[in-house]
Amino acid sequence: MSDNPFPLSRDELLRAYRTMRTIREFEERLHVEFSRGDIPGFVHLYAGEEATATGIMMNLRPSDRIASTHRGHGHCIAKGVDVNAMMAEIYGKQSGACRGKGGSMHIADLSQGMMGANGILGAGAPLVCGAALAAKFRGDGDVAVNFVGDGASNQGTFLESLNLAAVWNLPAIFVVENNGYAESTSVDWAVACDSYVDRAAGFGMPGMTVDGTDFFAVYEAADEIIRRARDGGGPALLECKMVRFFGHFEGDAQTYRAPGEIDEIRSSRNCLTLFRNQVTEAGVIDGGDLDAIDREVLDLIEMSVVNAKKAPEPTRADLLTDVYVTY
Amino acid sequence: MAESEPRVGIVANPVSARDIRRVIANATSLQVADRANIVLRVLAALGACGVQRVAMMPEKGGIRGLVDRGLRREINLGERVFPELDFVATPVTGTVEDTLAAVEEMVDVGVAAIVVLGGDGTHRAVVKRCGNVPISGISTGTNNAFPEYREPTITGLAVGLAATGRVPETTAIAQNKMLRVDLNHGAHKDIALVDVAISAERHVGARALWRTESFRELFVTFADPQVIGMSAIAGLIAPLGRDEPGGIHLRLGPPAEAGSVFQIPIAPGLMRPIGVHNWNWIDPGEVVTVRQPAGVVGLDGEREIQFGERDRVTVSLVEGAFRTIDVRACMHYAARHKLFAQGALRSLRITLEEES
Repeated sequence: MSDNPFPLSRDELLRAYRTMRTIREFEERLHVEFSRGDIPGFVHLYAGEEATATGIMMNLRPSDRIASTHRGHGHCIAKGVDVNAMMAEIYGKQSGACRGKGGSMHIADLSQGMMGANGILGAGAPLVCGAALAAKFRGDGDVAVNFVGDGASNQGTFLESLNLAAVWNLPAIFVVENNGYAESTSVDWAVACDSYVDRAAGFGMPGMTVDGTDFFAVYEAADEIIRRARDGGGPALLECKMVRFFGHFEGDAQTYRAPGEIDEIRSSRNCLTLFRNQVTEAGVIDGGDLDAIDREVLDLIEMSVVNAKKAPEPTRADLLTDVYVTY
Repeated sequence: MAESEPRVGIVANPVSARDIRRVIANATSLQVADRANIVLRVLAALGACGVQRVAMMPEKGGIRGLVDRGLRREINLGERVFPELDFVATPVTGTVEDTLAAVEEMVDVGVAAIVVLGGDGTHRAVVKRCGNVPISGISTGTNNAFPEYREPTITGLAVGLAATGRVPETTAIAQNKMLRVDLNHGAHKDIALVDVAISAERHVGARALWRTESFRELFVTFADPQVIGMSAIAGLIAPLGRDEPGGIHLRLGPPAEAGSVFQIPIAPGLMRPIGVHNWNWIDPGEVVTVRQPAGVVGLDGEREIQFGERDRVTVSLVEGAFRTIDVRACMHYAARHKLFAQGALRSLRITLEEES
């Protein structure tokens, strides 16, 4: 094995790959399982976008907080939420991360700093401002990261949050996951301000764009932005240009896609293939080690599905628990 | 260069000046609306010089829509005459491929010149495909050593004068140097217009070069002490003009290990100590082998090519590599020959006798 040219140790690179592969297999399996009709509610899959969640979360610590979107499985996994608890949650079972009451769009685990996926578009941004304000008062160097889609970035909550974060100089990072479609509407039609960097500049904060399918591009950008926020440099916006392998939701006929588009992005913009090529060609990791991770992840996902299916459903008595919070 | 109805091409990159230097160095974020306004100013200047047709690169970054809207407004107002604007029929992918394809198409349809809005990277992409067609740069990038800072209206006027043949080619055209990079005897070839940087970093990542402790070698076509970025290292040690022969090769290293240390504006507002071991001239055609055993090659300020211990990287300087419009020469020629006079020209200068 050669000298490591990357900004991460070999073990960290393996962890990054395992995270991305876990997200991919989790979503690919859900794509299959959802079609069987056993899963309540909707699921929105993150497959294709793994490098962004992983590249950013590799720069976070457990006490840093994130607020996710309706497409939140990837963020949960990358932030350290237990995969078995996630799968059980999606199946609506008692052993789920939220005891089966939240489902796919509301998975949360505060012990991992995951404040929740969110079915309300743009609703994560104000939460992140609150978490960032708390971190600023505590003075512990924690940051809060908001993930938002290109469509939800047009919500007033998001724009108000950019303003608040800039005015209060909060350690808040706004990650626009631009997969090109707001549900089925192309970003070309839906976003009046054509550059998210322009949008950030309008609030007096720096913004930048990276290829969200290149793990190392995301990691390096997030490293600078997050370090800057920890050190008191204030908020920033990071636009990650990415691709979505599945529809907006499972069952979406995707008639808005160009012919052959999905096959093309799966072959040319597959972040896992790109990562594998980068680390193996550099001679840092052997392909066999990555194959072993692939197998372990498949086993993990298989067990999570088996366990989720076997787990008990919430009871009627559970309806009245976890409703109110006491301080 | 002049033809009966000269056509000019415009390449406006909507995504230049979007990289990490906005975070690490407070670099400019030129808004898409400003880029569209620049295009409108260039169109107005070209129209004023008699250019009747312009072919523009299509993109989905927002410039096209704003230019269309601006043209409709100007036409409604009836105040200015714009050339007829067409967008070349090339695919839009949001990548550098858009520039390459559009420039190929512009060359095919016979444009007399291409106006480029972007940074050094955009200009480099255009040069890869423009062949003998002269280009004229407008700086909308981050470091921008290659395109000179100038009001785009003036650039548009100079291009218009050159494209219509009102300024002769011998005056209007400047020849330019470039650097060729060769990996493993032709396995991979690329070019740089301003600088080739060798960094000990070994991944492309976020592309920009700013971790100065990793800089190991630098090759430049010219060295202007008034620019920022990698070429500023050479510019503040051994200035060399764009029109002077030869290039410069510097060996760099961490400041603690180098014989000399210079404070260099490596990015907007970012002054960093750079360790310099030594420098030497490069002659045209001379092939210099990179000494750094492994790292990444930066082309015009962006990491592009990873190489390892088994790879061989060479750099060579090419003179007369591509052509640009000499805006300064065009405008001076226009002034000397009163090209902007309208109608009959009388003696303008008042003599003492007339005044009395």
